[in-house]
Amino acid sequence: MSNYYVYGVVRAADDLEFETDAVAGADRVYTVSHRRLAAVVSDIEETEPEQTDEDAQRHDDVLREIMEYGDGRTVVPMRFGMVFENERALKNVLRGARPAFRRAMNDIEGTVELGLKLVREEDADVDGEAIEATVADELEPLAVESTESDLFSDRLVLNRSYLVERVDREAFDEAIARFEDEHDDLLVQYTGPFAPYSFVDVHIGAQ
Amino acid sequence: MFILDDLLFRPFVGVIDALHTIALDELYDLEGLEDELKENQLLYELGERSEEEYEREKERLEEELEIAREVHEELASGRVEVKS
Repeated sequence: MSNYYVYGVVRAADDLEFETDAVAGADRVYTVSHRRLAAVVSDIEETEPEQTDEDAQRHDDVLREIMEYGDGRTVVPMRFGMVFENERALKNVLRGARPAFRRAMNDIEGTVELGLKLVREEDADVDGEAIEATVADELEPLAVESTESDLFSDRLVLNRSYLVERVDREAFDEAIARFEDEHDDLLVQYTGPFAPYSFVDVHIGAQ
Repeated sequence: MFILDDLLFRPFVGVIDALHTIALDELYDLEGLEDELKENQLLYELGERSEEEYEREKERLEEELEIAREVHEELASGRVEVKS
């Protein structure tokens, strides 16, 4: 019998079903509802899927498809690798974590996550603090919230994720483009939209 | 004589053990290797590294990371006794 691989949680009223290239070779994504919440899942054989680059990418892509489904859906994203062995276990989690899911859902309603990495050119000598201040002035007013990520390379000057209302997306894109034009000594990596991983904190135990 | 020997030398060996473990930790720096992997990916995505360079570097780092993980697991398991 097949297990359920979970991508995220939506409102039950937003139930959905579509065909796509899903994790571990599955080709259909659908919802399993419990009262007012629904888990978005695909079928999977194994209970501990290995996180290959391809499947990690599929997980992200499916979440993006969910976000763009219909007129746009709000989804509380799960990290890669969450599998449930039967419908009851899955519904138990939806029931047990209901307050956390509803809170998270409210926090991210109508938003997307965007990522910004600024990397100095190899020989460039840049003023990190000044850049940070400029970015904050330009971007923070357009974001609901932002969070700092690890500077894992000494070439990295800034690494942040932004939670942005869909309606402010265009203004945000433009602000980034302006910043890029004005900074020749920086390489800009602007990514997304992603499901807002960095702004939800729902921990559930898979089983 | 055996007892004296034991008392005199045990603490000394203990310090060497600890230093050796720290050295191994630094030599097999998991976090550092993971950071290098991420940097490699980033520089490739930004077009600064060719696909060939990226693949070569990725393979090298993943091999090192695997060895480092094994060393750390062994150390954590307590099965390895490091002697000077």
